[in-house]
Amino acid sequence: MTDADANIAEVSLCQVLDLQAAEPLRAELLALRGRPLQIDASQVSRLGGLCLQVLLSARISWAEDGLPLRIEQASEGFLEQLAAFGAPQINFEPEGAHL
Amino acid sequence: MDPFESIKATFFQECEELLTDMESGLLAMEQGDDDSETINAVFRAVHSVKGGAGAFGLEELIRFAHVFETVLDEMRSGKLHLTDEVAKVLLRASDVLADHVAAARSGGQVDEGRTVGMIADLQGLIDQDRAAELGLNEDGDSGAVEEDFGFVPVVLSLDEPAADAPEVDVAALMAAAAPPPEAPAAAPAWRVTFRPKAEMYAKANEAALVLRELARLGDVEVALDAGAVPPLDQLSAEQAYLTWTVRLSGDKSEAEVREVFEFVEDDCDLEVTREGEAATEASEPDIAADDDASASAVEAAAGAPLDLDALLARVAAPTEEPAPAAAPAPAPVAAAPPAAPAQDPASLDVAGLIALAEKASQDHAQTQAAPPKADPKADQKAEARAAAGPATAATPTIRVDLDRVDRLINAVGELVIQQAMLSQRVFESGLARSSDVALGLEDLELLTREIQDSVMAIRAQPVKSVFQRMPRLVREVADMVGKKVRLVMDGENTEVDKTVIERLSDPITHMLRNAIDHGLETPEEREAGGKGAEGTVRLAALHRGGRIVIEVQDDGRGINRPRVRGIAMAKGLIAEDAVLSDDEIDNLIFLPGFSTADVVSDISGRGVGMDVVKRSIQALGGRISITSEPGKGSKFSMSLPLTLAVLDGMVVSAADQTLVAPLSNIVESLTPRAEDVHLIGGRDAVICIRDTFVPLIDVGVALGFRDTPLPPASGVAVLVESEGGGKAALLVEAIQGQRQVVIKSLEANYQHIHGVAAATILGDGRVALILDVDALVTTSRRKAPRIEKRMAV
Repeated sequence: MTDADANIAEVSLCQVLDLQAAEPLRAELLALRGRPLQIDASQVSRLGGLCLQVLLSARISWAEDGLPLRIEQASEGFLEQLAAFGAPQINFEPEGAHL
Repeated sequence: MDPFESIKATFFQECEELLTDMESGLLAMEQGDDDSETINAVFRAVHSVKGGAGAFGLEELIRFAHVFETVLDEMRSGKLHLTDEVAKVLLRASDVLADHVAAARSGGQVDEGRTVGMIADLQGLIDQDRAAELGLNEDGDSGAVEEDFGFVPVVLSLDEPAADAPEVDVAALMAAAAPPPEAPAAAPAWRVTFRPKAEMYAKANEAALVLRELARLGDVEVALDAGAVPPLDQLSAEQAYLTWTVRLSGDKSEAEVREVFEFVEDDCDLEVTREGEAATEASEPDIAADDDASASAVEAAAGAPLDLDALLARVAAPTEEPAPAAAPAPAPVAAAPPAAPAQDPASLDVAGLIALAEKASQDHAQTQAAPPKADPKADQKAEARAAAGPATAATPTIRVDLDRVDRLINAVGELVIQQAMLSQRVFESGLARSSDVALGLEDLELLTREIQDSVMAIRAQPVKSVFQRMPRLVREVADMVGKKVRLVMDGENTEVDKTVIERLSDPITHMLRNAIDHGLETPEEREAGGKGAEGTVRLAALHRGGRIVIEVQDDGRGINRPRVRGIAMAKGLIAEDAVLSDDEIDNLIFLPGFSTADVVSDISGRGVGMDVVKRSIQALGGRISITSEPGKGSKFSMSLPLTLAVLDGMVVSAADQTLVAPLSNIVESLTPRAEDVHLIGGRDAVICIRDTFVPLIDVGVALGFRDTPLPPASGVAVLVESEGGGKAALLVEAIQGQRQVVIKSLEANYQHIHGVAAATILGDGRVALILDVDALVTTSRRKAPRIEKRMAV
């Protein structure tokens, strides 16, 4: 970890990422834009298509900003669901950047 | 309610319907119907239950449904043939499946022993034909479940750039590429493009579940196109931006693949194309002529049959620019997603592919009814589906919370009352009947009536939902008592109000139990009596005279009248010298405290006698009666009002009270002449109507409004008939008129009162009691067996 640590934003995803969780998640992530992001997915038991979109959209936004975005501690359920969705990449590591 | 819970509740509601469909299909199969559509329907029902169960992780249920489904699949493919034996096993399996659903719903446990036994029986059916081929392992169930989950879980390392992923993916690809034990090397594959719309999510459907369900059908490779996803600040969280392309290998028909999307098909864009066929079709002149370039793209996209070498080659360089040949195929699960989607060649190709696949699928749809091509069976099924399509599309339905309908019905009930009150006020105000207000009110009345009828029709349901549960009951009871029983059901589509339906189940159950336990003889007795070993019980529903009649008829021994009479006398239920008609003796079994079973059996002697059945039916405003012929069987008939919400009644007054007599009971009304009325024993009156004497019941006295009867030859006599056929004349002061009234339950609002069925609110705002004609007639008759005897002489 570097001294950029202080600037790193952290988000803990809630357990059920369904229709109702999508807009709050979008708002939450949007508010953190402009900072490197660590996402804790360890509590996630259900990942739905809409929240997947939000995560992918976040990845695009972070990539536009050239800032890293990373899933930390993904739960088994989260990973399984991601795989079922075709295993899209959510992490974004700009070249030479480190969290 | 937690949205997940509510989805689950919906699932269980659907399960009920599915189980019903399944059972009716199985019953048809039991009768020898081996039509492929029937078998398909049963298969689909079991499959849908399993699919839903998968979404909720109901492992026990999935496990059993899977084995069940496997057997049905064998039948569909013609490998297992329908015999009596098979049908019986399937019926029992349906019972176990229903148990599993019930247990999953209530969180209870199922009888593990029974499940295991049933699974063994089911597998026995398969074993007969090709256990080895099917590849069910020794304890096939658990293995089968894993196999059924389809896609191979891929261990993902999100920390690592895709470098590691291919290694993992090799296994998945190898698994996908390895030919299944008995399948030809080039396994057919479907290419499914699935683009959810926002509406799909809004209806609480979930792409994840659909994909998971698809993965159950076979090996899948899922590719996600996220090219349409905008950055966060432009993203609408409830819009849908993603498209999935799934390559599904395995021997499934298009109908089966499409079935996965059954609940979302209106809310997504969906294309299903056969990999091999898509290319063929695409090169057919009409499409090729349209756009040669895109046709060849489809050809390329559809890809060659699964080729291990090609797959391995693709795995070798998955994160590089994909080789042209491999590019159009969706990237396998572990492939890296586009970093900058708009420029990603793979996603562009997917978009192009979708456009083409749309064309191809339209073309395919047009040619669906054409003569069979590569897979005649699949086409045949598709045709069957197409044929069934318009029929189901013609009657769209919605699912509405019953509570809402009830509220509506209550509100309409109040509207009817209010409208009646308004009419009364207008009438009292002395406005001319021809005045605009009065005419307007008449129109309003018609309209109100129409609204009420329509609303009641919403809640009306076929009795099928209750009847469907009975075959199982009959099987179980028959097994328990060692009798052979065939259940014949008629009139399952007879409609009746939901409030009545819910309460039909118990009495029917009891009557059926009674018919099998007491009515039917053992197979030996039957054969000795020259009947077939198998007894028949007929359960029928029909509309008669504005009521629903439920009949339970057996071809058993009939009621042993001397014995019934003896018991009734021994128990002091009738006087020793009572002269009773055969009918009356038969109906003694409904008297409280009467039970003919010498030994209380498990079946009908549960401490609930026929008197309880009768009372519960009466509480519904219903009546029950029995007719019997020794040696030939008995028939129970119960008749119930079609609704418990409204009633057509005759408004009468007695002792300054306004009362309502149900119109369905009324035969005629007359002004009694003094010479026709006779007093028996100085108190009980009878009236002679066209040479028949019937009891004359002074309603005011019977209900305790006053002590002294009306003088003879005053008032109006209303001749009523009870369900048992017994007649009586109700003596009231006057008849006010006929009216439809809204029933308000006395039991719910106050308590049961003998002789009163319910209450209602009249136009003037006063409460009026609705007479329980049956109770009044029965009381008068029970009081007076001796009188009748004298009168009969």
